Amino acid sequence: MEGRPPDDVALAERARNGDERAFEELVRSHQRIVFRTAYLLTGSAADAEDAVQAGLVKAWRALPRFRPGSPFRPWLLRIVANEAHNRRRSEGRAEALRLRSGRGLPGDAAPSPEGAVLSLERREELLAAVGRLEERDREIVTCRYFLELSEDETATVLGIRRGTVKSRTARALARLREAVET
Amino acid sequence: MTELERALVSLGHELEIPEAPDVAAVVRARLEPRRGRRTIRAPRRLAVAVALVLLAALLATLAIPDARSAFFRALHIGGASIELVDELPEVPAEPDLELTLGQRVTLAEARGEAGFDVLRLDDQPDAVYLGHRGTVWLLHGTPARPRLLLAQTPFHSVDQELLLKKLTAPGTQVEPVAVDGARGVFLSGDPHFLLLLDELGNPVEDSARLAGNVLLWSHDGVAYRLEGGFDRERALELAQSLR
Repeated sequence: MEGRPPDDVALAERARNGDERAFEELVRSHQRIVFRTAYLLTGSAADAEDAVQAGLVKAWRALPRFRPGSPFRPWLLRIVANEAHNRRRSEGRAEALRLRSGRGLPGDAAPSPEGAVLSLERREELLAAVGRLEERDREIVTCRYFLELSEDETATVLGIRRGTVKSRTARALARLREAVET
Repeated sequence: MTELERALVSLGHELEIPEAPDVAAVVRARLEPRRGRRTIRAPRRLAVAVALVLLAALLATLAIPDARSAFFRALHIGGASIELVDELPEVPAEPDLELTLGQRVTLAEARGEAGFDVLRLDDQPDAVYLGHRGTVWLLHGTPARPRLLLAQTPFHSVDQELLLKKLTAPGTQVEPVAVDGARGVFLSGDPHFLLLLDELGNPVEDSARLAGNVLLWSHDGVAYRLEGGFDRERALELAQSLR
């Protein structure tokens, strides 16, 4: 599985057998994408941190049922994504995502090279269009493009079939294309 | 990758996302040492004898087609496979129910997504989840203290697509029942082991748990599973009240 450090398997196996230090190492190596996932799904830093902590504790409890040798990252992300999803539903609040670049700030905030394909205004339009997507379509876009997960990882994280990932991705892209072209 | 997809990836790099807090140490401090795991054991010789007697009764009562092997010990119904075993696998003492159930949704969302008529009891469920294989779960009570749990899973071919596997120990009673004319079984007594299977027939990692009394039946392409602390009559009453 792409993006999976080679020692994930060994660490996960040690953690499965009750090694807390191994689990801590796993948390440290995945916490950035885990937090990004939770933040993008909840839209709130505080909710995301709560979801991450609760999800990681649940993952520790669930580890005995983790299938040895299978990809650890999507398994972990799925548990945290479930927490984030449930938290968002119960809290019912989410802030709209914003571009780090704000209104054309120079320096660090400059768009990445591939971002040059769209002007700042068009990028903000696109982001707003993502925000208007149905939740299920938005989650697909979040996983596939904002988190850059593979189709297989996305399927695991969202608990859906790979075919559903493909069809929802196509639907979301069609809606976004329509929104930014009109 | 299309231009739109490249633009989306680029947006992802430019999103204002707070720096991830270092939670590794905090989380580690919250970890509980692995608790004892429980197994349900039974004397092996007796277990086999009871299992075979029970199996014979089931085969006779339900007119199951010929056993597929001399040691056939499974009953398939409503997308589920019930297997008689001598000893149940180990599961954590307190499995997390929400991990099994999946994503929390509203009943309306579940109905929109399911592709079949999602039924409910007279009482509104306290929570609805959408899980693997399109299963809609209606929870009455809380994940920590569930009172009733109803699972509805669409299936196409019972023999080829096992949705879940139940392993029963000798202390579990398996009684054939009819729910509105549909064939079903009622499992009671000792807890049984529930294992959800994904689209490829592999066990879903975090779904194993011990279940209580369960009524299992299928109707019109949907497998139903009602779990709670009820007796057979009450379970059938609840099943027949589904709308």
